[in-house]
Amino acid sequence: MQTDALVGRAREGDKNAQGRLVKLWYKRIYNFNYKFFFDHDLAMEVSQKTFIAMHKNIGGLQEVSRFKSWLYTISVNFCREELRKKKSNKSLSLNDLRPGEGEDSYRWEESGNRGENPDRQLRHTELSDLLQSCLMELSDEQREVVIMKEYEGLKFREIAEALNISENTVKSRMYYGLDGLKRILERRNITKETIGYEL
Amino acid sequence: MSYKPDEATLISYLYGELDAKESEKVIQYFQQYPEALKQFHEMANTLNVMRTVEDKEVIAPTIFVGQDTGSPFWQSSYFKMSMSIAASFLLIIAAGKLSGLEVSYSSGELRISFGNKQAIQREIIQPTNLLTQNQVQEMIDASLTTNNSVIAANWTETQKKLDKSIKNSLAVNSQKIDDLMKNTSHASEEQVRGFVSSLQADNLRLMKDYMQLSSKEQKQYVETLLVDFSSYLKEQRNQDLQLFQTRMTSIEKNTVQFKQETEQILASIISSGSKSKNTY
Repeated sequence: MQTDALVGRAREGDKNAQGRLVKLWYKRIYNFNYKFFFDHDLAMEVSQKTFIAMHKNIGGLQEVSRFKSWLYTISVNFCREELRKKKSNKSLSLNDLRPGEGEDSYRWEESGNRGENPDRQLRHTELSDLLQSCLMELSDEQREVVIMKEYEGLKFREIAEALNISENTVKSRMYYGLDGLKRILERRNITKETIGYEL
Repeated sequence: MSYKPDEATLISYLYGELDAKESEKVIQYFQQYPEALKQFHEMANTLNVMRTVEDKEVIAPTIFVGQDTGSPFWQSSYFKMSMSIAASFLLIIAAGKLSGLEVSYSSGELRISFGNKQAIQREIIQPTNLLTQNQVQEMIDASLTTNNSVIAANWTETQKKLDKSIKNSLAVNSQKIDDLMKNTSHASEEQVRGFVSSLQADNLRLMKDYMQLSSKEQKQYVETLLVDFSSYLKEQRNQDLQLFQTRMTSIEKNTVQFKQETEQILASIISSGSKSKNTY
């Protein structure tokens, strides 16, 4: 509801409302991009591009209720563009060159709430990264749908709008995405029990 | 039960987005196919495992977007692109002009040249003295006349040579015949007699052989002729007999028929006579 009001004001050129929309949706869009690329820098870059595009084009948004799927459409388009660039121009993050171990690793730096239980937090981050790497083995189309549904909590209708495909296609991609993940987890011997032991 | 939920239905069921009626169908399907239910549970477990991935904390950066005052048209990408294409063409044209580029196509020949056009000296042989038609005709006539006279001279000469050769040949042959006659006249009487007697003996032998051979052939021929004649007579006799028999049979038939007709006529006459008598 808060979003709808902000979108309405932002459409009329309210800079303050646009800024608040950025603060409200930045984390979601960043996490979507991060899970899509499994790369912090790319996720940041695409997120910024997404919100710049939002700022430029929000005046042309027809329906306020479609803001969410519209924003994800922009983000997915930038993701695909970056993916094409990445395929043609192979690059490696400096963090990946020297990942380090334990407290020396960059993941330690990135992990939040370290003061609470640093060791447990690090293991959690490593597990997340492990599962994230499983997600990266899916095809781009399946990964988009799984992230949008499972992590971003979009409805199937909203995903269909964002990707400009039918709901049945979304569900079909979701099914085969989950089936693929099941096989990947089996191959890597990751089960609910092993995760429970790790945590 | 032929119902089998498709992927979309299973996913909707997994997220609890299926209506009650459809859900009931899926539950019944799972009850009938425990293997499908097992697979479904495995998928749900996969989902639970994947849900342990946490969101990354991130602070939204301050995004500065400058005032969009509307850039002039010469800063637009379309203008820049069209200008760059035009500049490229201009550059190419200028380079072509400076280098004297010339591209031409005529009568199936593409010519690309640089620099000034150089005249190509071609040697064309001009006819110096042109002959008229009459002159050519005169030349042909003169040539024909000369040719004819040469042929006639050759012919006369060849004829003369031929006559001479025939005369020589005749003279040689007559000389040879005269020599032969002279030799013959010089032959002795005995030689002549011997020659004649040998000729007579040869003739006699030939006549004998001929007569002998001739008598044998005649005998064979006469025998054959007699045999053929006898067979002919026999055949003729048979045919005559058959003819005679046929005639006789015919006469017999006619006689019987005549007899029957006569009887019929008589019977009719008698019957008609009796009828007339009764009427009276």
